[in-house]
Amino acid sequence: MAQQFFSRRNLQFMLYEVLQAEDLCNYEYFQDHSRDTFELIIDTVSKLATDVMYPVFQDMDSNPPVYADGIARVHPIVRNYMQECGAGGWINPYMSYEFGGQQLPSTVYTVIGFIMGAANYSLSAYPQLTGGAANLLVNFGSKELQDLYLAPMLAGQWQGTMALTEPNAGSSLADVKTSAEDSGQGYFLIKGQKIFITGGSTDATDNTVHMMLARIKGAPSGVKGISLFLVPKFYVDEAGNLQANDIFCTGIEHKLGYKGCPACQLSMGDNGSCRGYLIGEPNKGLAYMFQMMNEERVNVGIGAASKATAAYYAALEYAQQRLQGRKINDKNPESPQIAIINHADIKRMLMFQRAISEGALALGLQVSKYIDLAKAGEESEKNELLIDFLVPIVKTYPAEMGILATSAAIQCLGGYGYCKDFPVEQYFRDVRIDPIHEGTTGIQGQDLLGRKVIMKKGRAFQLFKEELSGTINTAAEIDQLKLPAKMLEEAMIMVEQVTSHLLQTAVQGDTERFLSDASLYLEMTGILTIGWQWLLQGVAACQALNVNVSTVDKNFYQGKMLTMQYYFDYEMPRINTLCEILTRNEGFMSDVPLETFV
Amino acid sequence: MKVLVCVKQTFDTEAKIELKDGKISDAGINLIINPYDEVAVEGAIQLKEKNIATEVVIVSAGADKAMDAIRTALAMGADRGILVKQDSAADEFQRAVALAEAIKAENPDLILAGHVAADDGSSQVPTRIAEILGLPHVNVITNIEIAGGKATCTSEADGGTQVTEVTIPAVVSSQVSWNEPRYPSMKGIMQAKKKPVATVDAAAADAKVKIIELALPPSKTAGIKIEEDPDVAAAKLGDWMKNTVKVEVK
Ligand SMILES: Cc1cc2nc3c(=O)[nH]c(=O)nc-3n(C[C@H](O)[C@H](O)[C@H](O)COP(=O)(O)OP(=O)(O)OC[C@H]3O[C@@H](n4cnc5c(N)ncnc54)[C@H](O)[C@@H]3O)c2cc1C
Ligand SMILES: Cc1cc2nc3c(=O)[nH]c(=O)nc-3n(C[C@H](O)[C@H](O)[C@H](O)COP(=O)(O)OP(=O)(O)OC[C@H]3O[C@@H](n4cnc5c(N)ncnc54)[C@H](O)[C@@H]3O)c2cc1C
Repeated sequence: MAQQFFSRRNLQFMLYEVLQAEDLCNYEYFQDHSRDTFELIIDTVSKLATDVMYPVFQDMDSNPPVYADGIARVHPIVRNYMQECGAGGWINPYMSYEFGGQQLPSTVYTVIGFIMGAANYSLSAYPQLTGGAANLLVNFGSKELQDLYLAPMLAGQWQGTMALTEPNAGSSLADVKTSAEDSGQGYFLIKGQKIFITGGSTDATDNTVHMMLARIKGAPSGVKGISLFLVPKFYVDEAGNLQANDIFCTGIEHKLGYKGCPACQLSMGDNGSCRGYLIGEPNKGLAYMFQMMNEERVNVGIGAASKATAAYYAALEYAQQRLQGRKINDKNPESPQIAIINHADIKRMLMFQRAISEGALALGLQVSKYIDLAKAGEESEKNELLIDFLVPIVKTYPAEMGILATSAAIQCLGGYGYCKDFPVEQYFRDVRIDPIHEGTTGIQGQDLLGRKVIMKKGRAFQLFKEELSGTINTAAEIDQLKLPAKMLEEAMIMVEQVTSHLLQTAVQGDTERFLSDASLYLEMTGILTIGWQWLLQGVAACQALNVNVSTVDKNFYQGKMLTMQYYFDYEMPRINTLCEILTRNEGFMSDVPLETFV
Repeated sequence: MKVLVCVKQTFDTEAKIELKDGKISDAGINLIINPYDEVAVEGAIQLKEKNIATEVVIVSAGADKAMDAIRTALAMGADRGILVKQDSAADEFQRAVALAEAIKAENPDLILAGHVAADDGSSQVPTRIAEILGLPHVNVITNIEIAGGKATCTSEADGGTQVTEVTIPAVVSSQVSWNEPRYPSMKGIMQAKKKPVATVDAAAADAKVKIIELALPPSKTAGIKIEEDPDVAAAKLGDWMKNTVKVEVK
C-alpha cells in the first residue's frame, strides 16, 4: 500500500486559496464555523481515515460480504466504523442544530467525503448512505417518524438505504412497480422487489431503514404516481418495541469492485404484512428523491475523484522507486537503471491522472460552494441554477475520466499494476461503478442537453458561461495565464456554437435526433468545465508564486501551473474533435437500423 | 480534583522536514499534538468521566500556532486551556521553567504529560517540571488509580511492570500503551471553539542547550546486493558486517 492517498496541501489550497471557503462563515447559518473548525475537522477525519479506514481497504476487497439467511455478513470493521461515525457526528454534520447536526458547509463535508473515499470508498458508503436517508426523513418525514427512526440512524446503530431500483426499473424509475396499499392503521402494506440496494441488509447494524419508492394502489402511472416510504427491517410498534417486518434480503450481487459494501436484493410483502410509512404527500416520492439527488450526485463525482487521487499517489510512489531502463540517449548498458519517473511517458501519465483527479475535486468543491451559498440565501436563484446545470457534469466527468485515470495508474506500474500486490487494480475496479449508479452517463447526458441547457430559456447555461467569463477576464490580466485564458474562451465559443446547432434540431421537434449524442455533448462540456477549474487554480497559484514562498510551496504551486498547462495542451484539444463529431453526425446514432447490428 | 495536562505541538510524524536558514521550516507542514501527550489528554478525560477529576486543563508552551494543539485537546473533551507564549526555539529547560510557572499558578492536583516528544525525543520536560516544583514524578505509566490523596501508577519496567504509589500533587508521564486516544467529535470541535483559553507570557530563563547545527540525515544510499550461492553469500555478508559495518560480536 502506498504511504499517501490524498494531499492535505491540495485541500488547503482549494479551500482557502481558490474558494475562500472561510468567507462562508460570514453567513448566519455557518457563523459558528471558522477556518479553525474546518481544519480541526479535517485533522480528525484524516486521522480516522489513516488509522481506521485505509488499513482495511484491501482486506474489505479480498473478503467481500457473504450472504447467509437474509443477511450480508460484512467486514467486522463496518460495525465499529459506523459507531465511530455515529458517536463523532460524522453521519450528518451538515444538518441543522435542530436535528443534531453542526451546520457544516457542504464544501467542507465534501472534503470529508473525499478523504474518506480516498481511504476506503466501500467503507465510506455506509455512513454516507445513512446520512442521505436521514436527510430525506428530516426534510419530508413527519415528526412521529423522525422521533422513532432518526436518532438510531444518526448514532450509526441503524443503516439507512435508498431503495429505488427494481429489476424492470433502473434508469426508468417511471416504471417502478412495488405497490403500497393503505392499511387504514397508519401504515401501508408494501409488496414488490428491489435490487441493487446498497447496504440493504447487513450484520453491521441492528436495523435497516429503507427510503423506498413505491406506487400507491390506484395512483397514476409514470413518475407522477410514485410515493416515498420508510420501510424498516424492524419497525417500532405501538409499545415502542422492535418487530420484524415482512421484508427479506434474498441475495446479494457479486460485483466487479466496490466489494466491501453489498448490493442487496430485497423482497417485500411475501407474507402480506410489510409495513411502510408514507413520507410526505402521496405521489411526490420522486420529486423528494430528486431534491436530494444533487448532493448525491456531487458525492458520486467526489467518490470517483477520491479513488483516482489515491491511485495517483500509489502510481507516483511506485514511479519514484521502480528502476527500469535508462535515458534514451544513454547507450551504456553498464550504467545503472533509472527510476521510471524519469521517463517522459510516465510523467505524462502521472500528469494526466493529476489533471483529472485535482480538476474533478475542484469542480466538486465548486458545486458544493454553490450549494452552501444557495442554502445561506445568497443569490439563491442563481446558485441553484448553476448547481442544476453543473450536476450532470460534476457526476460524470470524474466518473468517466476516473476510469481512465486509474487505468493510467495501472499502466505506470506495468505488470505489477495488473496484479493484486498493489492497490491500483482495485481503484480501477472500484471506480467503475461511478458512471452507473445515481443515473448512468447516458441519462446524465440527456439531463444536461435535454433539460439543463434549455431550462428557464437557457438561463442556467447563460449563468454558467458568465462564471467562465469571469475567470477568463481575471486570468487575462495575468501574464502567465493569457494563453490558457484565450484557449478557454475559444473552447467556450465552440461549445456555444455546437449547442446552438443542436438546438436547431430540437426546435424542429426531433428530440430523438437532438439527444442522440447527448453523452458526447456531456463529455465536451465536461472538458470545458474542468478547463475553467484549472484556470481558476492557475490564478491562485500565480498569485501565490508572486510572493516569496518556501521551496516546498514553490514546488507545489509550480506543479499546479504545469498541470494546468498540461490540461490546456493535452486535454482541451479533445473538444475540437467532439465539436466536429457533434456537428457533423447529428442524428446518426438514432438512424442506425437495428437489424444492421449483426 | 483538578488535572492539568502538558501538551506540545509537534510536526506530523509523516511530514517531510525541510531546513531553511539552518532551522526547521514549518511551511506546508501539518502540526499535530505530540502523540504521547494525546494519550495523557485521553487519560485525564477518562479520569473526569469516572468522576475522579472535576476539571481538565491543557497547558502548552509554544508559538501562537500551539493554540491549535490546545483546541484539539479541548475538542477531545478537556475544559479549558492555557497558552504559555514562548519562542519555538526554547530548550527543554526554558520550557520546563515556563510550564512550571504556569502550573504553579493553577495549583492542580495532578500533572500529566507524555513521556517523550515525537520531534526532539528529549524526554526531559516532565521530569524537569517535577524537579522545579519539588513534586514526585512517575514515568511511562500504563495505568493510574487515584484514592485517598495518593496516585497508584503502573509503569513499564524491564521484563515486567512496576507499581509506584505517590502522594499527589505529582507529575506523571504516560506511555502510549496506557490508552487509545479518542477522535474529537464534530460536537466536541464546535464546543472547543467556545471553551476559554488564556494566554500568558513565559517566565524567563536562560537556555542550557545551544544547537550548533541542524542537518537532515544523509539520503539513503543504494544497498549492496550479494548474488552468490547461499554459502558464499553468507560468508561475504559476514565479512561485510565485520569489516565494513563493524558489528561487534560480544
Ligand atoms: C453496485 C451498485 C449499487 C447500487 N446501489 C443502488 C442503491 O443503493 N439504490 C438503488 O435504488 N439503486 C442502486 N443501484 C442501481 C443503479 O442505480 C442502477 O443500476 C442504474 O440506475 C442503472 O439501471 P439499470 O442497472 O437497470 O440499467 P438500465 O437502466 O437497464 O441501463 C442499461 C443501459 O441502458 C442505458 N439506458 C437505459 N435507459 C435509457 C434511455 N432512456 N435512454 C438512453 N439510454 C438508456 C443506460 O444508460 C445504460 O447504459 C446500484 C447499482 C449498482 C451496480
Ligand atoms: C498477466 C501477465 C502475464 C505475463 N506473461 C508473461 C509471459 O508469459 N512471459 C514473460 O516473459 N513476461 C510476461 N509478463 C510480463 C510483462 O511482459 C511485463 O509485465 C511487461 O513487459 C512490463 O514490464 P514490468 O511489469 O516490469 O513493468 P516496467 O518495465 O517496470 O514498466 C513500468 C512502467 O514504466 C514504463 N517504462 C519502463 N521502461 C521505460 C522506458 N525505458 N521508457 C519509457 N517508459 C518505460 C512502462 O511503459 C510502464 O508504464 C506478464 C505480465 C502480466 C501482468
